[in-house]
Amino acid sequence: MTGPMTADTHDNDDRTTLLVHAYVDGELDPANAIAIEQCMASEPALAAERARVEALRQVLRERLPREAEPLALRAKVRRAVGLTRQRAQPTWMAMAASLALAIFASSTGTWYAMQPGAGGSVPDAVIAGHLRALMAPQPADVASSDRHTVKPWFSGRIPLAPRVVDLVQDGFPLIGGRVDVVNRMPVPSLVYGRRQHLISLTAVPNASLGSTTSQTVQGYNMIAWIAEGMTYWAVSDLNLEELQMFARLFRAAPS
Amino acid sequence: MSGDDNTARFERIVQPHLGDAYALARWITGDRADAEDVVQEACLRAFRAVGGYAGGNTRAWMLTIVRNTAYTWLARNRNAVVTAVDDLVATENAIAAVAATSAGGRYDTNPEAELIAKADAARLEAAITALPPQFRDTLVLRDIQGLDYREIAAVTEVPVGTVMSRLARARQRLIAAIATEDQ
Repeated sequence: MTGPMTADTHDNDDRTTLLVHAYVDGELDPANAIAIEQCMASEPALAAERARVEALRQVLRERLPREAEPLALRAKVRRAVGLTRQRAQPTWMAMAASLALAIFASSTGTWYAMQPGAGGSVPDAVIAGHLRALMAPQPADVASSDRHTVKPWFSGRIPLAPRVVDLVQDGFPLIGGRVDVVNRMPVPSLVYGRRQHLISLTAVPNASLGSTTSQTVQGYNMIAWIAEGMTYWAVSDLNLEELQMFARLFRAAPS
Repeated sequence: MSGDDNTARFERIVQPHLGDAYALARWITGDRADAEDVVQEACLRAFRAVGGYAGGNTRAWMLTIVRNTAYTWLARNRNAVVTAVDDLVATENAIAAVAATSAGGRYDTNPEAELIAKADAARLEAAITALPPQFRDTLVLRDIQGLDYREIAAVTEVPVGTVMSRLARARQRLIAAIATEDQ
């Protein structure tokens, strides 16, 4: 990329500085990299420039990671481009409205059972978390398909971060994560997608479950299993076969 | 059917880069809602152009469209003044001259790495936002989005040498802005 280097004039100083930056960026060919290493070894000013650039890159990586796109952007883009028919993929608003209607129409007894921490069972609390997420503008508090973004997000909020695995190759893209409340305790929930369906995967500590179970509660399919001392609850309006497939893949995936 | 071809190409070439597209648009517009508008418009342009896409780096291709769309969008909707390239060369030279004179022995007086490491996110973001647009774009593409020099040269439509000088100047200005004890 560059020719031989000298440092006689101010112009050359400037040029050498550019090469220090290129060196930090791994953009120099081996010959120039060795030459600039020698310059830095003999010139404290260049070594200081290298230290500053490395410190800047480090602090940017830590404090300003690339911001994730809003969850709804993909759908908006697909609509803008005309790839999506409105009926095929309901918007969150429409889904929330139909859910709200369904809940309004259901009995007050059911509604009461969905209140978490009111003596309700764990499955009820898990379903309540899932429903609240569907009604919220975003089903996840941290929206990212990158498990390396989602997992650290939990660490600052709850004592035990869940296992987060990448299942996009299997058709279950990670959408994000949120904190739910089960038995007055904050617990992590991961959100995965399957076509237009959402899957909430809630990890509840202090497993007290005998074995893997599946059940249908209030029209939602649920599968629960124990791993790493926690009970994982997968809940979705997805059909049971595909939800079982999701559970199998999640358990088998390396973290 | 060519419509299906375009759809498949769009899904393969454009969709994987929505995150990068949004991040760049967010830095250029400085606003999340504006960034979403820009990305939608850019995707529409990309969808129309994707049939003629001749190969090469898909991320650089997409981000070039996003960046151009962002500046046209700003000019149309926010009355932003887009700096012409000629002006920019003059600006860069002026900045270089100021940096060289005001810093004096700038290598000795420049603040140290420990101070840089203390800068918090708000201060970093403010300092990046204050950079001249071409410097800011180059720095964001390299140090936040992780593009290499050749990709940045393609996206910002300048030679690699210009990328190098913009990047070094952008970093030096950023360092000067954040590496002080006050604030």
